[in-house]
Amino acid sequence: MASPAVQQPRSASSKTESYVDNKRKEDIRRANIVAARAVADAVRTSLGPKGMDKMISTASGEVIITNDGATILNKMEVLQPAAKMLVELSKSQDVVAGDGTTTVVVIAGALLKQCLSLLNNGIHPTVISDALHKASLKAVDVLTAMAVPVELSDRESLIKSASTSLNSKVVSQYSTLLAPLAVDAVLSVVDPAKPDLVDLRDVKIVKKLGGTVDDTELVKGLVFDKKVSHSAGGPTRVENAKIAVIQFQISPPKTDIEQSIVVSDYTQMDRILKEERNYILGMIKKIKATGCNVLLIQKSILRDAVTDLSLHYLAKAKILVVKDVERDEIEFITKTLNCLPIANIEHFREEKLGHADCVEEVSLGDGKIVKITGIKDMGRTTTVLVRGSNLLVIDEAERSLHDALCVVRCLVNKRFLIAGGGAPEIELSRQLGAWAKVLHGMESHCIRSFAEALEVIPYTLAENAGLNPIAIVTELRNRHAQGEINAGINVRKGQITNILEENVVQPLLVSTSAITLATECVRMILKIDDIITVR
Amino acid sequence: MAVDKLFKDEATEEKGERARMASFVGAMAIADLVKATLGPKGMDKVLQSTGRGRSVTVTNDGATILKSLHIDNPAAKVLVDISKVQDDEVGDGTTSVVVLAGELLREAEKLVAAKIHPMTVISGYRMAAECARNALLQRVMDNKDDAERFKADLMKIAMTTLSSKILSQDKEHFAKLAVDAVMRLKGSTNLEAIQIIKKPGGSLKDSFIDEGFILDKKMGIGQPKRIENAKILVANTAMDTDKVKIYGARVRVDSMSRVAQIEGAEKEKMKEKVQKIIAHGTNCFVNRQLIYNFPEELFADAGILAIEHADFDGIERLALVTGGEIASTFDNPESFKLGHCKLIEEIMIGEDKLIHFSGVEMGQACTIVLRGASFHVLDEAERSLHDALCVISQTVVDSRVLLGGGWPEMVMAKEVDELARRTPGKKSHAIEAFSRALQAIPTTIADNAGLDSAELISQLRAEHHKEGCTAGIDILSGAVGGMEKLGISESFKVKQAVLLSATEAAEMILRVDEIITCAPRKREDRM
Repeated sequence: MASPAVQQPRSASSKTESYVDNKRKEDIRRANIVAARAVADAVRTSLGPKGMDKMISTASGEVIITNDGATILNKMEVLQPAAKMLVELSKSQDVVAGDGTTTVVVIAGALLKQCLSLLNNGIHPTVISDALHKASLKAVDVLTAMAVPVELSDRESLIKSASTSLNSKVVSQYSTLLAPLAVDAVLSVVDPAKPDLVDLRDVKIVKKLGGTVDDTELVKGLVFDKKVSHSAGGPTRVENAKIAVIQFQISPPKTDIEQSIVVSDYTQMDRILKEERNYILGMIKKIKATGCNVLLIQKSILRDAVTDLSLHYLAKAKILVVKDVERDEIEFITKTLNCLPIANIEHFREEKLGHADCVEEVSLGDGKIVKITGIKDMGRTTTVLVRGSNLLVIDEAERSLHDALCVVRCLVNKRFLIAGGGAPEIELSRQLGAWAKVLHGMESHCIRSFAEALEVIPYTLAENAGLNPIAIVTELRNRHAQGEINAGINVRKGQITNILEENVVQPLLVSTSAITLATECVRMILKIDDIITVR
Repeated sequence: MAVDKLFKDEATEEKGERARMASFVGAMAIADLVKATLGPKGMDKVLQSTGRGRSVTVTNDGATILKSLHIDNPAAKVLVDISKVQDDEVGDGTTSVVVLAGELLREAEKLVAAKIHPMTVISGYRMAAECARNALLQRVMDNKDDAERFKADLMKIAMTTLSSKILSQDKEHFAKLAVDAVMRLKGSTNLEAIQIIKKPGGSLKDSFIDEGFILDKKMGIGQPKRIENAKILVANTAMDTDKVKIYGARVRVDSMSRVAQIEGAEKEKMKEKVQKIIAHGTNCFVNRQLIYNFPEELFADAGILAIEHADFDGIERLALVTGGEIASTFDNPESFKLGHCKLIEEIMIGEDKLIHFSGVEMGQACTIVLRGASFHVLDEAERSLHDALCVISQTVVDSRVLLGGGWPEMVMAKEVDELARRTPGKKSHAIEAFSRALQAIPTTIADNAGLDSAELISQLRAEHHKEGCTAGIDILSGAVGGMEKLGISESFKVKQAVLLSATEAAEMILRVDEIITCAPRKREDRM
């Protein structure tokens, strides 16, 4: 239990943080730390290239196999408030950097462990909190000093960092395929006018069951996970396509006000059917007149987008139809096709159409997709078609690809690379340890603990790879002390090597945001002294 | 017994000593609950909701904590109310007011136990509060005439307020944000014109102030993404169809072509409406409700930027800052006032795209964009910033400034002590008690920081016997220090409100000698 506070000689400069608090508050803080550490321990084994995966069976009976920290934590549904904060932390890292979601939680867990022993020594939580803040600022400086600048034209380096991220995932054996794919995808959406901004929404990922991850490809164009509506025998392949994105429906008219057609005898019925036919035929004629031969129809909740009748006429007019396009996809589609959506038949004009070389339906496995390629004046978007032998693999591949995309995006935002394989953490630990010796008082003590906590990353990396963690970490420390700042754990060879030469690199942003976010979260947990149940 | 049964079943009545006890205990329990959040080293609380989602809030703000508590004790409710009022009136000091009221009651309890009538205690408290207020009034500083020094004062106050919050690490940055935002208001206390947008990602330091207005919405497809010299029409109108709002209204037709005609007529009506809107000479149309695909396309064709689904807050503020009106009919374009701004463009913050209106009519308006690690951080940052904004805007109106760090409490305590010595009779006990309660605030601040409060307070008291003393507690070094040198200031208005409302609340609770709890209303349907 808490040892009695160390009595300090009273002087003007000394801080008298003889921290005495009542039992309950201490207990709550302790309970928070224990809960948060339990969360960190749960994901610890999934860190690194040899980290293990977790199988999660959700409340709805769905099974997910993943190595992605953010996903694991998200599905865990923890209740304890402090544990929840760690889940949030992982989410934030996902938003900021997209990768390193496990790392950030593991660091936070290690920091909390050190904080617990500092609290046991009777140091006031706010003092620890301030010291942690200082240490994290210093850590960012150290990391920035270690970083190597990278150019966007240097495709090799970008691929290296993307493959480092992919290596720790289920799909690691495909990293040679996925890494260049991720790099190309991101680079193709970078707008030369605004080189620092990448909107990952411009990269669309389409998942399709069948084949293996090997068949994953980057499509310069559009892919719909939909069938062409050809129940009436319409075309499934159109060359020199003129594409219209329409937001109205080719079906019998329907008014917004409630309506009913009164039929009093069967001759009227005939007339109505004829009118319906004429109505639809009129619409299709107008469409055909503009030369349009591909229609993308937005989904409507109010009425059928197309009827059998209209499909029949469309087929006769040799128009390819894709229906049920979601409204939120419209913006992406119009941006890609460089066309305008058409909301009314009266506005169906030629200048609103998009042009492409080829629109075709392709059979993949047991399903079919629609591909639009060779788009004229294509917008800055791209589509990745992910394949896999089962749904679990596809989902995991998608998550991994997302991480890789984020890594490349980080590099576009902040063009610095840093070594991987535990090298930055051990270097931080060494430099902060040295810095702590220069400082005085409690601060020095806390910063030394911070430095020690960072060793958890190389330690866990080694442990997960089945190496002797103590031997590895001590050797690593030794090599760094001799000035080899890029020495890191080579998990494949099971020894310490210059990790930059091994092409294990990661963006600086991932490391810095992991440190700052983890510190911020730990500081918040430290400052909590009570949990109140409210409405 | 004369009266057999006065109250309904289950209604309870507590009298005299018991009633007073109950209210003392309740009020003190509340005060103790928030006590630990006071001061720069105060701790935070986690509020765990029992409702759906079991959402978690981490906060240091007294008003927020108290607002969300389940409370049964009537006296405790009084304290929650004064904290709420303090929040509405001046925005800061919500914890201080509760702690002071709690301490006043704690002292009063001792006096009552010593057989001093509550009324005597009340009159003593009243005299003491008056005297304390005068003591502060004599020592206020007012730099209203010197713009430079006044701004420095505002910075100091903002930093003092923020130092007890989550923003303490970057308090200079945020103090500057807050002061800049309030200075733009040019003396008005209309905080509506300051919009706070929270976007997760980045760190707190990346927060910034932006002149103009940011709307968290997307632009329509195929419409201009950048408009200069925009004329903005803000509207709240249905842009799907003007439905007949009579239940059961329907049309009967006898052929399909008639249905098509009606549909065409509906479209035509919509088109007319859009034409009317365009006739206003606007080039940016912001609607609170949805804009359907059809009118959206019409707007796109006319080269007008149409923004749909802006929320209530959004359009009201937009109308305010651009100087326009909110329209719902479009028949009189002459008499309608359009909003204006110099430039509308799309900007990206973090991962999201937002619409930015710059060079707006009302120059006072501005937007503060908060960035932070998670929603917990952002929510708390918003509450903290709100406190700072309130205090600063109040100080702009009432520019009297005091020192901080427990200095005002010690000044008041000293004056009140002297008053006690001059006052004959039992009242003097109450006045003395008041002074002790005042000293409880610096004591709590010191205790929360883990400092030796008894030692510090006695040193502080000794310092304050010198004339023109500026000593207060310097939490960072853990010693007594000159507050003027350290730049710790507080607004006079906040302190005055704390003093007066705490005294009033204490007085109110003291007067109670009977609590009647009505029988809870029965729920019939519950089995």
